[in-house]
Amino acid sequence: MLTIENLHANVDDKAILKGLNIEVKPGEVHAIMGPNGAGKSTLGNVLSGRDGYEVTQGKAFLSGKEILELEPEERAGEGLFLAFQYPVEIPGVSNLEFLKASMDAIRKYRGEEEIDSVSFMKLAREKCKAVNLDQNFLKRGVNEGFSGGEKKRNEIMQMMMLEPKMCILDETDSGLDIDALQVVAQGVNSLRSPDRSFVVVTHYQRLLDFIVPDYVHVLADGKIVKSGGKELALELEEKGYGWIEGEVA
Amino acid sequence: MSETMNFIDQATTFVSSHESQSKTQWLADFRLQQQTRFSQNQWPTRKTENWKYTSLNALQQANFNQPSQASSTIDESAYAIENLNAQTLVFVDGVFDATRSQLDIDSNASVCLFSEANEKQQALIQNYLGKASGNSSNIFTHLNGSLTHDGLLIHVAKGQTASPIHVVHYASSQTQAATAQSRHLFVVEDNAQAAVIEHFASVESNGNSLFNQLTEIELGNNAHLHHYRLHLEDEQMIHLGAMHANLQRDAQLNSFHLALGGKIKRIDIEVNYQGSGAHSDVNGVYLTKNRQHVDYHTNMEHAVPHCTTSEVFRGIMDDNSKAVFNGRIHIHPQAQKTLAELSNKNLLLSNKAEINTKPELEIYADDVRCAHGATVSQMDNNALFYLLSRGISREEAERMLSFGFINELIDGVKHEAIGAYLRPVIAELFGNQQHLAECDL
Amino acid sequence: MTDVINERIESDYKAGFVTDVETDTIPPGLNEDVIRTISAKKGEPEWLLEWRLKAFAVWKEMQEPEWAHLKYPKVEFDKVSYYSAPKSMEDKPKSLDEVDPELLKTYEKLGIPLHEQAILAGVAVDAVFDSVSVATTFRDKLEEAGVIFCPISEAVHKYPDLIKKYLGSVVPQKDNFYAALNCAVFSDGSFVYIPKGVRCPMELSTYFRINEAKTGQFERTLIVADEGSYVSYLEGCTAPMRDENQLHAAVVELVAMKDAEIKYSTVQNWYPGDAEGKGGIYNFVTKRGICHQNAKISWTQVETGSAITWKYPSVVLKGDNSIGEFYSVALTNNYQQADTGTKMIHLGKNTRSTIISKGISAGKSQNAYRGLVRMNPGAENARNYTQCDSLLIGDQCGAHTFPYIESKHPAAVVEHEATTSKVSDDQLFLCQQRGIEPEKAVSMIVNGFCKEVFKELPMEFAVEAGKLLEVSLEGSVG
Repeated sequence: MLTIENLHANVDDKAILKGLNIEVKPGEVHAIMGPNGAGKSTLGNVLSGRDGYEVTQGKAFLSGKEILELEPEERAGEGLFLAFQYPVEIPGVSNLEFLKASMDAIRKYRGEEEIDSVSFMKLAREKCKAVNLDQNFLKRGVNEGFSGGEKKRNEIMQMMMLEPKMCILDETDSGLDIDALQVVAQGVNSLRSPDRSFVVVTHYQRLLDFIVPDYVHVLADGKIVKSGGKELALELEEKGYGWIEGEVA
Repeated sequence: MSETMNFIDQATTFVSSHESQSKTQWLADFRLQQQTRFSQNQWPTRKTENWKYTSLNALQQANFNQPSQASSTIDESAYAIENLNAQTLVFVDGVFDATRSQLDIDSNASVCLFSEANEKQQALIQNYLGKASGNSSNIFTHLNGSLTHDGLLIHVAKGQTASPIHVVHYASSQTQAATAQSRHLFVVEDNAQAAVIEHFASVESNGNSLFNQLTEIELGNNAHLHHYRLHLEDEQMIHLGAMHANLQRDAQLNSFHLALGGKIKRIDIEVNYQGSGAHSDVNGVYLTKNRQHVDYHTNMEHAVPHCTTSEVFRGIMDDNSKAVFNGRIHIHPQAQKTLAELSNKNLLLSNKAEINTKPELEIYADDVRCAHGATVSQMDNNALFYLLSRGISREEAERMLSFGFINELIDGVKHEAIGAYLRPVIAELFGNQQHLAECDL
Repeated sequence: MTDVINERIESDYKAGFVTDVETDTIPPGLNEDVIRTISAKKGEPEWLLEWRLKAFAVWKEMQEPEWAHLKYPKVEFDKVSYYSAPKSMEDKPKSLDEVDPELLKTYEKLGIPLHEQAILAGVAVDAVFDSVSVATTFRDKLEEAGVIFCPISEAVHKYPDLIKKYLGSVVPQKDNFYAALNCAVFSDGSFVYIPKGVRCPMELSTYFRINEAKTGQFERTLIVADEGSYVSYLEGCTAPMRDENQLHAAVVELVAMKDAEIKYSTVQNWYPGDAEGKGGIYNFVTKRGICHQNAKISWTQVETGSAITWKYPSVVLKGDNSIGEFYSVALTNNYQQADTGTKMIHLGKNTRSTIISKGISAGKSQNAYRGLVRMNPGAENARNYTQCDSLLIGDQCGAHTFPYIESKHPAAVVEHEATTSKVSDDQLFLCQQRGIEPEKAVSMIVNGFCKEVFKELPMEFAVEAGKLLEVSLEGSVG
């Protein structure tokens, strides 16, 4: 599904990712953990094509197609979805029109018919319910005045609507209380399927109690320094990141 | 220069020739007084502070021809607002058109032309005409006054709640440049409520046609007016207009302004706080493209304590167009405990477009909280990336963000029928009608 | 509490004394002969006389500007004397030892000792007394570094090529009414040239003193920082207390070549007039700098003096990536009026400007910020940030903000914010409850309000500025 080969990336001429490799097969959930400043958020931004993140070396393939040369919206069309750590507020643009524009664009990219308004509304209401968001949120500006938890649930709601094949969750758990965390995890789990994969980027093991990963990788200083099964997360939680850094050094 | 003198000469001749054919002699004193002030005024040049960024060169070609017989093919769809449930008064080239108007809705307001005013209405007009605009130094205010032979009075008596009134000014297609004018006086008495939509429309006017519209508003104690002034005329029009309001104790004015560009559109907005506890929300949107020009000058005169102003104007300028915004807040020495805030944000979409903005504070009282902010910027890159990352094309994303920038103000509009009317109009301006307008749940 | 603020006492202007020296003062009035006389007294070359006369011709055709938010009786230009110099300066003293001790005493009293052993180390001073420079210190040391720092009247003779090239290059003769007047009658001022790649080894400073009655001071300063050089320049000004208004119309031109940086700081403490608004200096000043590629000009001003201030230190950001800054504290008390601010003209790509203006109004004064930010069509990715804060002390004064923003580039960003506030009764009460007397409390609050600007000043000046505010505020709180 997603293959990253020797990825190097700079932000403001400073190397952040320094040769990252990862292979995610269809249906798998990979967790990427690491200390602050390891390059966790950079990964999601680089993969989705944000300005200011410069790839200096390496390749990334989504279902065999190289994506690093594509525009951000083309990557989305290819089925890549980034759930943002800090979703931006866009006053004046309603959630609903935003979602409709997004669905239409992605369907068009895939060569599918536009969804009709009635089905769209039905779907939107349904997904709102699934993440426990009041339907009135649909009318409001994108993320405008949402609490931290509501913003994160809105990300998951979008993910459900757009049905991407490769989802990257960028510290979706940060700042969430346990109830909100469970709602988010349920949403993600409901989307798990043999042809959809997840990369869950997180600082804490807590989220992985609810979204159980197939593999856990430790990212430090721009590289994967250790990989293992879900038990690695527990070990990390117990011993802290210092343990890994010490071991690698 | 000599040609602008011609304009004044022409105007002066026009003013005096009009005097002889007047039907409403009881207005003569007012006109005379206005003529004196008109003749005392200097013709504004680019060195006149209030006209620094707006050239009146286009007026050199303007003409004091009266509009010829209105063409019978008036496009009513150019101004119809669905679900408004309002009385509608239609004026074509400044002249009332009874056949197109709809006055049968029971409204709790008394509405009349000055020329048809009964005794009581005449008394109101004589009492209030020229009052709210009394401090204006704008020459076109006095030109308007000099030519006031008729006008529209809307009067809501004490304690009444009037249903919305839709006042349409339609500029018909003319074979040559013409000048028309109009005057409105809205009197909302103590504890009364009203909603008035001033709506300027045309399909294809003649270039250099000049329309001069002046509105005066008098709000009594605790009176409340929702006011809309929509300038949706075609881009050939020259409009020199103004709104002046006097607010008494605890009065509340919600005034929403929208202007698409024209050859020149200059609108002065003035709120005079005369009773404490009064409040106004003045919001506006200007959208220009091609070679259009819009100029809003707003002035909040805080002369008494404990009043509040909230003012937000936003503009988007494209192509070779130019916009001017001048927002003045004036706190007089007595106006302690005033709260006044002004925000003006602008987006330029082309490297030939231009914005000149000047938010001004003039403060003579110390116990007040005043702030203003003005920005000129590009779209928010984070917001743009968010949309792109959800698969939306750059072009579409930019359209959505531009529309959103404006829609925030439209969302604040109290009458949903007006919001619903404006959204597609604006969406079309940004070249898209698909998603932007539909938000029904 | 508000009553406490309103109660005013006599303010104390410490620089208000008069120096008793014999002077050579030309009679009041302005015509071509006066200009020829000034030029002759300075032994100027013919080209400069022509330049002055041309400016005078332009000035006669100009109108006195009336757009500022200032009200004052018009200056009677015929009643002003345009040149005055101590007689003792006629012999052109060769060293400090030959300078009239009365003059040296004057500067000592003002806290500017001119004897090098007594001087603050690291600051070179040019002392201008009415129309002439009386002394310039540390010249030898500066010459070692290749830095030129001398009176402009001397530079005309010693460095004619530099003067010819740059005089009027930033502020042309016809720029505005007061600049044209200055071009016609300018007397003295400082000239600074920093050669390529040189970091000026010490702070340069000019101290302007008006002494003679009924005279105007028309100084002219020109600073050229060649490629990659750096200079920090300070300017201070005072005048005696007199009942009539005196005119001061200066021009300052700054040229920052590629990669150069000029930091220009002013502490302006001209006599502000008395508590009834009688007397004081009319301060009409044109200050402008031009930045070439990657250059930076930073204006910092603390304006506490003058009856009338009309002053807009500006930066033309011509070169790509150049930077302009303006940090200002303007304090008005009693009947003072100030209309001051800046202009940032963005011509080049990626140019940046920052404007921080703090206006404090007390007494019956009027204090206006007036600024222009212009993004020209070439100003791609240019940025401006402006913050204008006003503080009102008492309910008899006015605080005004007139920012002009003109943008012609879609990729230029301009942000302007303005607020106004007062020294609140709550703040005062808290201070008093903690044992701080009201006057001290107001001065603390005002100092806090101005902090962002003070931190831009060179150390010695920052201390002086703080003290000056305290003195200027005297009488605003009882």
